[in-house]
Amino acid sequence: MSQVPTQASRSTLSRFWHKWRFHINVLLLLVPLGFMPKYFADAALFRGDTGLGEREIGEVQVGPWSLRLAELRNEAPRPDGPAGYMKNFNAALCDSCREQVKATYLRIGKPRSLRAAGVIFFGTPYRMGAMLPVPAKTKADAELWITMEGWDGSMHQASIPLSQASPATLAWLSTQGGKP
Amino acid sequence: MSKKSRSKIWFLVHSWLALPIWFFVLIVCVTGTLAVVSQEIVWLANPQMRASPPADDAPRLNYDQIVAAIKQAEPDIIVDSISRPDEAHFALDVRVNYPDGRELTVYVNPYTGAIQGPAPPFNFQAFTRALHGWWLVPFTNGYSWGWYLVSFLSLPMLASLVTGLVVYKRFWKGFFRPTLRIRQGARIFWGDFHRLSGIWSIWFIAVISVTSTWFLIEAFMFDNQISISTAPVAAVVPRESVPLTTDGSPTPMISLEAAIREAKARIPGLDESFVSMPANAYSYLSVGGRSWYPLMFQTADINPYTGEVAATRLLSDRSSLEFVTESMRPLHTGDFGGIWIKLIWCFFGLLLSMMVLSGLLIWTKRTALATANALKRRNKRPRDEAATANSAGTTEISQ
Repeated sequence: MSQVPTQASRSTLSRFWHKWRFHINVLLLLVPLGFMPKYFADAALFRGDTGLGEREIGEVQVGPWSLRLAELRNEAPRPDGPAGYMKNFNAALCDSCREQVKATYLRIGKPRSLRAAGVIFFGTPYRMGAMLPVPAKTKADAELWITMEGWDGSMHQASIPLSQASPATLAWLSTQGGKP
Repeated sequence: MSKKSRSKIWFLVHSWLALPIWFFVLIVCVTGTLAVVSQEIVWLANPQMRASPPADDAPRLNYDQIVAAIKQAEPDIIVDSISRPDEAHFALDVRVNYPDGRELTVYVNPYTGAIQGPAPPFNFQAFTRALHGWWLVPFTNGYSWGWYLVSFLSLPMLASLVTGLVVYKRFWKGFFRPTLRIRQGARIFWGDFHRLSGIWSIWFIAVISVTSTWFLIEAFMFDNQISISTAPVAAVVPRESVPLTTDGSPTPMISLEAAIREAKARIPGLDESFVSMPANAYSYLSVGGRSWYPLMFQTADINPYTGEVAATRLLSDRSSLEFVTESMRPLHTGDFGGIWIKLIWCFFGLLLSMMVLSGLLIWTKRTALATANALKRRNKRPRDEAATANSAGTTEISQ
């Protein structure tokens, strides 16, 4: 006697399932719908509509020159296959130094020479980007070194604490077990 | 196993390949069809993308003249690259940087050098390709799972093609006696439609599913660090070849026309379609385009200070495997021979989308019939619905 209602409800459910089982995949459309805001935010970020990057670090003075530095994404470094973890920074040169600076480099730790200045920025003086490898063993008090090279052969350097350049990277490092 | 029950099984397999995911397959087909002609759709919607000559005999400007015209109109702009779309009715796509840090494509008239307007913030081409290609799932670590989701569809599609041909007995007869019965009810019509468009689309479905299988393999290889590339690692301009200047101003570069001349001297038959400026003081200027083989580009990297060709990537540099794999993308998109090939791809894309729909309609009609039959016998054999549907299907395909 108690089985009657159970059976009835199961058959409603199974009828519902039979009727709609091949239409459930319509729900897959929720995936692109859900990612759409992210897609458009990224498109705006790469067009430069929302500034130099997700998080502006500020103006950094490098000898007579300066540049505006930003994190492309306000987040931890991303894994990039066998190359390890990478962090993208964007930069824009100051108005007066645009014509004088030949190349700009980024490196964690002080470079020993211009040849080892780190990764080079690609792009134009208005908006350029560099992909910086961040070893998981990087120390929390590490510094980000900026090297700038002039068309006349001059070279200038400056550094900022990594904690200032990317708090998200520092937070990530603390979870990597490479504590000092 | 009897012949009849074997064909029943093939038929079941054929139905089940797409049926549970028909809507997903349909949207992927429709967005793919749109993506094929997305450039043309933008051209229709946006007059700024059109290349209207000021007079019938107006000559096209060369690349240096284009850059000069842009600089004259907006002195602060920095040009990143110029690309000339395949068809002459499109304006040039010029990637530029503005002092406020924005990086966009502007449409430039190839006859006057006038900046006709920036590409709209909503990039219809990129959007349809992203929706079709990876379901908008972002790439965070290697290929996005949306890419896998979409490219995985290549396998049921390939299987649909094969099982469809097995189930449709003597399908080649359909080429000589095309049947499309319009007046005998919806189920007959959609059945005829499905078979007729199916046999005429054999080549297209094969091309699309094989190329998408490659996209699946490509992602898998990339994510597992397997490389078949013979392309050399991108080199940099040697420090010594960039002379220092005493006044600290940038070292002058060669003209774009000079770079194109160098590239053409090295690559016979090159029809240059893009020029990319060096991305920094130590990178090369690139010139590239197609030649006799429409499915691949050849490029030359040129030292922007000396004009020396530092590296080339020619057809002959590709391994035979790369010849196949690098041809996959243009074959998939139909973007290798101008508007007519795109329109053919678009037409068969629509047909393929309709095949998904007609397949579903056939199933729905058949199930409606089968359900009606099953209801009659409900008390006797309530669980026979599926079997009825199948036998109805077998009757239907052998019609």
